[in-house]
Amino acid sequence: VTRPAPATPSAAATPGAAGAAAPFVTPRRTTVLLAGTLLAAVAVTGCSAHPRSDAAGGKPRLSVSGAYVPQPPLADMAAGYFTVRNTGGAGDRLTSVTSTTASDVSLMVTKADGSMNGVGDLPIPAGGSLRLRVGGDHLMLMGLKGGRPAVGQHLSFVLHFARSAPITVTVPVEPASYQPKG
Amino acid sequence: MRTNRTTRPARPVRPRRLIGGAALVAAAALTLTACGTSSSDGNGPVARVSASATTAAVVLDQPFAKPNLVLTDSHGKPFDLVKETAGDPTLLYFGYTHCPDVCPTTMADIANARSKLPAAQRARLKVVFVSTDPTRDTPKRLAAWLGAMDPSFIGLTGKFAAIQAAARSLGVMVERPVREKDGSYSVEHGAEVFAFSPKDNRAHFLYTAGVSVRQYDQDLPELVEGRTP
Repeated sequence: VTRPAPATPSAAATPGAAGAAAPFVTPRRTTVLLAGTLLAAVAVTGCSAHPRSDAAGGKPRLSVSGAYVPQPPLADMAAGYFTVRNTGGAGDRLTSVTSTTASDVSLMVTKADGSMNGVGDLPIPAGGSLRLRVGGDHLMLMGLKGGRPAVGQHLSFVLHFARSAPITVTVPVEPASYQPKG
Repeated sequence: MRTNRTTRPARPVRPRRLIGGAALVAAAALTLTACGTSSSDGNGPVARVSASATTAAVVLDQPFAKPNLVLTDSHGKPFDLVKETAGDPTLLYFGYTHCPDVCPTTMADIANARSKLPAAQRARLKVVFVSTDPTRDTPKRLAAWLGAMDPSFIGLTGKFAAIQAAARSLGVMVERPVREKDGSYSVEHGAEVFAFSPKDNRAHFLYTAGVSVRQYDQDLPELVEGRTP
């Protein structure tokens, strides 16, 4: 895995970003922000239903970049982030992530209102990407084996998809306040 | 299912540096990224525009008073927030330690920026983490969790009702943690870090979670000297 690629802010990340800003605006601006969020949401829906995807008989072509785990304070709870890019002609879905170094890994989404929920899968649109990031969609890792990981240590994730073959990623542990470039 | 719910402050605060238009532009631009094939290399200004909406201090037209809050600190001793931080530049955040994403990142970013302050300023800055999950966040656990980031950080736990009332006085709405049927917990954390001035013990500005370390690097020296960045 290379260093984080330049960011491709995914559609999935947008509502979270706008939602984080929303609480601090005057009512008038809230309207503007909400409009922005809706616009993005509409675009996402339009995107995944795009006839280009599956009707054309294309296949998803996935690549993973920028994976990292910020060093957690304790071993019982950590987060994981990466970007999955899809340069293929059909959409795919990230259905689960497994790791031999965690007792449990969950896919979490952050909604526009800031609430966080576990989900069964995350979409990776054709020609788009799924970006996990702080304050947005992320992995929740519970029960890291071997204790609190050191910065520079590597974990292993296996990403499972609805259509594509699993992808194994070597994931570096970065300092807790690491920020991916871009 | 775990839920971190961040809710709207009780009264709206005017963001001097938060530009609604920028967020709209970001949303529109991201739309292109999501659907486009030609411009999806991610090198455009999209991320920077998006970041500018959340990375600056939000200056408060009406400063917040420091909440009256007496809790138990991570050494197991009573801690009176108003009394113990009077005259000190103070950052205050409501969160919990079983939070994988925003809470540890927020505290780690502050720890990182604090470590770069000159020693005299570093000694004056107080950073207070108030647990929104006080049953699981025992003093011992707070000491371990915060100690891994910065042992000077003050962790507070105690009666949820007192914590909720203090949070509410700052416009942070947190509900009592709920244990779900599957054994997991739904807990809420604040979305803001409040910066209290050493001059009048009021918060004249705050940060939304997600602010960059660089922003703290720039602003903490100002806060310590009682200035609003």
